[in-house]
Amino acid sequence: MTTGALARPDALSRPAAAAGAATRLLRLAGDRADVGAQLRATLDRLRRRWSAEDVDDWAEGALALVHANAGGRCLALFCRLSMAGGAGAADLAADARSAAELARRAGSKAAAAALEAVPLAALRLASAQERGRWWAALVRLARTAPDCVAPLVERSATVLAACDAGGFEDFVAAGLKAGGSDRTRLRAFFTLVDPAARRLLERGAGRAGFYELERGLVLFGAALWGAPPRLAALEGAGAAPAAQRVSVVGDLIRMPHAYRGVPADAAPGLYRAALAHATAQRVFGGPRRPAGKLKPLQIALVGLIEDARVEALAMRRFPGLRALWAPWHVARPVAATNAGLLMGRLARALFDPDYEDLDGFVAKGRRLFADVSGRLEDPTLARAIGGLLGNDIGQMRLRFDPKGHVVEPLYRDDNLGLWDFGDEPDAQAEEIEQAVDAARPRAEEGDDGRMADAPPREQAGRAREVEPDGAGQAIASYPEWDRAAGVERPRWTTVRDVPAASGDRRALAAALEALPGFRQRIARLVRGARVGRAARLKRQPEGFDLDLDAAVEAGIALRIGDIPEERIHRAAGRRARDVATVALIDVSESTRDRVGAATVLEVEKLAVAALGAAMDAIGDRFAVRAFASCGRDDVRLARVKEFSGRMDDAAMARLAGLSSGLSTRLGAALRHAGAELAPLRSHRKLVLALTDGEPSDIDVADPLDLVEDARRAVLALRRTGVDVFGVTLGEGCDARIFGRANTLPVRRIEELPARLSELYFRLARL
Amino acid sequence: MTEPSLAGGLSAYAIRDEPYYRAIGDEIEIFAAAYACRLPVMLKGPTGCGKTRFVEHMAWRLGRPLVTVAAHEDLTAADLAGRFLLAPEGTVWQDGPLTTAVREGAICYLDEIVEARQDTTVVIHPLTDARRALPLEKKGELVPAHPDFQLTISYNPGYQSAVKDLKESTKQRFVAIEFDYPAPAVEAEIVAREADVSGEQARGLIEVGLRSRNLRGQGLAEGASTRMLIHAGKLLRGGAPLDAAIRAAILLPITDEPDLREALGAAIAASLPAGLAAS
Repeated sequence: MTTGALARPDALSRPAAAAGAATRLLRLAGDRADVGAQLRATLDRLRRRWSAEDVDDWAEGALALVHANAGGRCLALFCRLSMAGGAGAADLAADARSAAELARRAGSKAAAAALEAVPLAALRLASAQERGRWWAALVRLARTAPDCVAPLVERSATVLAACDAGGFEDFVAAGLKAGGSDRTRLRAFFTLVDPAARRLLERGAGRAGFYELERGLVLFGAALWGAPPRLAALEGAGAAPAAQRVSVVGDLIRMPHAYRGVPADAAPGLYRAALAHATAQRVFGGPRRPAGKLKPLQIALVGLIEDARVEALAMRRFPGLRALWAPWHVARPVAATNAGLLMGRLARALFDPDYEDLDGFVAKGRRLFADVSGRLEDPTLARAIGGLLGNDIGQMRLRFDPKGHVVEPLYRDDNLGLWDFGDEPDAQAEEIEQAVDAARPRAEEGDDGRMADAPPREQAGRAREVEPDGAGQAIASYPEWDRAAGVERPRWTTVRDVPAASGDRRALAAALEALPGFRQRIARLVRGARVGRAARLKRQPEGFDLDLDAAVEAGIALRIGDIPEERIHRAAGRRARDVATVALIDVSESTRDRVGAATVLEVEKLAVAALGAAMDAIGDRFAVRAFASCGRDDVRLARVKEFSGRMDDAAMARLAGLSSGLSTRLGAALRHAGAELAPLRSHRKLVLALTDGEPSDIDVADPLDLVEDARRAVLALRRTGVDVFGVTLGEGCDARIFGRANTLPVRRIEELPARLSELYFRLARL
Repeated sequence: MTEPSLAGGLSAYAIRDEPYYRAIGDEIEIFAAAYACRLPVMLKGPTGCGKTRFVEHMAWRLGRPLVTVAAHEDLTAADLAGRFLLAPEGTVWQDGPLTTAVREGAICYLDEIVEARQDTTVVIHPLTDARRALPLEKKGELVPAHPDFQLTISYNPGYQSAVKDLKESTKQRFVAIEFDYPAPAVEAEIVAREADVSGEQARGLIEVGLRSRNLRGQGLAEGASTRMLIHAGKLLRGGAPLDAAIRAAILLPITDEPDLREALGAAIAASLPAGLAAS
């Protein structure tokens, strides 16, 4: 069986030296005490199986292990693997070479573990190519985080159960990115202790889960039932995976963040079905009933009947819900070996009149349910019917596992909300409180009272409310673009509100006055500026059209022999300024550098103070935020000035009080600025970013990553109607981020105050 | 209804056949009462819910010609009142539609008046108070309003912005009638009649409208108007399958966001009876 030769059609002639690979192997390792005999025996067997070339290929692989000092155990495992069959020489040789690499970087133990895991992994890795990708992912991990290889290999089967080879690669990439250079975090990720790792697995590395579908679900629920539903994700707790059924707490609907094993294209329908059922329960369901002395089986049965009841009522109101729920009823009339299966059949029978099932219990359930179809609104029905059926099923002596029982089908909720179990009401109420609090949006100050009614979070910001953490007041979290993987990672960065310290505003005001020609320049700019909606200006000296009234008057004047007025045209112009701006100031460590007599930060402050004075004079709305970051969980934003109000003493003091420090995670700051602008009604929305160099942060190794993320943030903001302009102080080529037309490089820092104001007015004229 | 003889210029504005209008509340009585005293009337409500049709109906009912002006941003005072034109024989004055209505005693309907600039809108002030006259400064004439003249305006409060709104001084001159989408049963009747579809189909379309109106303020500025539902009905009548008619007449025009279209489409599918939904 010369599978090796078939796999490599390009190898026509072999160099003479390589023909001796097997010989070399024997010479180097054939006499080893630990593994020599095994090697020789393996070679013998392989020689009988394969051609000479294949054997040599294989031997090259083994040699790689030897050269890498992988150790006897690795060699032994490799032999065993090769003997097991199923893979050709070339594949095995590739395995060996990758294992050798692992041995070099992560140690022989890791390599041995990997070799040991290959048979199990191979079950999930369909092709040689996938196998290669699996190894490549491990090698990559070994390069960056060698001590994580062994733990990951041990769990390789778990990971591969959730996703294919591509998913495995994504998993490793995501883990490396999430952990950065923090060894503890990396280890936590690859031992699957980190909830983010488990979450990623459960979502099958990129399939549609709750977070991706949430917005569509809220819209769906609002369109159908009238009010937007309150939704939250159900995550796993500790080491346990997330529950796979919706759980309703008060009016909060908690949905699994991912449904395992559901293909990506079916996920939206499933989530909608789940939402529709949970809402139907809320709308048509009765009050909580006391569980009393009911046994678990009876509780399950009553829940089942109640599910059927509220769904029947919901389908009366919205007939199309049947099509939404039907695909998930998959029970079949096969012999039920336990109560759960039988109940599944009953559930389907109650839902689907066309489902044929001859079982007596199922038929009885159907009959009882049909008998009450005239009074489905009665909330006591479920208890009554459930009681009758409960006796029957109890007598059948079918096995029922209360702990393992799950409500069927998949889209239904766990029905815990139906019951009052009589335990401490406080505990339950507290749980509700906590769940509700976690999902409650932070009360946003209506910055200028002009918020639109209940706006959805705009996609550009896609902020999520986060639970208060302790370390700084977290106000939102944003996605970030992962350049290497080419995906956007949701909830990646956390923006925190830090209080702005008060500084010496008098000094700042004095410096402002000292700027040469400052006041006159501002006054001139203000006079010349007009921004707002297009309007036709009449009686213009030139324009694209005639102002009919003026033209007629001119005609009359001509006729009576008078001198006609020349301004008889109409032109397009602007009226009524309607612009809202966020000025973002980079206060990272590099702004501490001196340029001439002042630091970069001091010049920035001066520039913003000048701009603020100008905008006050013209009456535009603007807010000022200072940003610096310390890793992705700590993007700090200081509120120097809000949208409403002028650049008053307090704001000037806060501006003066800014200090340099930390790093520049520009993308997150831009997204947050966009989110702050989103609820405002304005003809024009601007973000002015003052930054002194390339974005960077302590947990991102490749500076290009954050540059690309910032670029994407700019594009996302632009899609929502927010223009972004960058004022770059320094040599960083930030035209990549903002676009050439939207970048103002300021080479000489002393020019900044004047140029910033000019820039604003130039922009605002467009 | 009486058919008074109309001056030649207004015969084009006469309404001879009854425009179908289904009363929702007491709007017909209120308008008739206002007209009896020639009080100006403001019709407030979202787009596509029957304001213009109502005015046409009332004009027919009261036997008056109807002069309609669709207001827009370039509308000038001269466009409404009139201007001098240059003719070979000299300058000649041309009445604008408002002046024509004022002279001849028609109902003048300014549709979407907020679109016009505020310096244009103030032209109507002298007509809406006790003076009831239209000054034409350029001509040097004060035109007293014909006893049968009445001014009606329409106005969609949903589109307000700081820049475009009626002045307080303008708003307070009018009697207002509020329009909104009718109750589902009534709206179904209207759609069935206007689009010539069956009652069951009309009720299905109303459900569609309700779904979209639930999203007002959550991504949609306005839900689907009655007019949109009538369009969908007409497509149905013309042989289009239901989902295509809904898509073309409602989903596609109402929003450009794919997320929103998908969610709304799913909600619509969930609310329609299986027999009505195609495939």
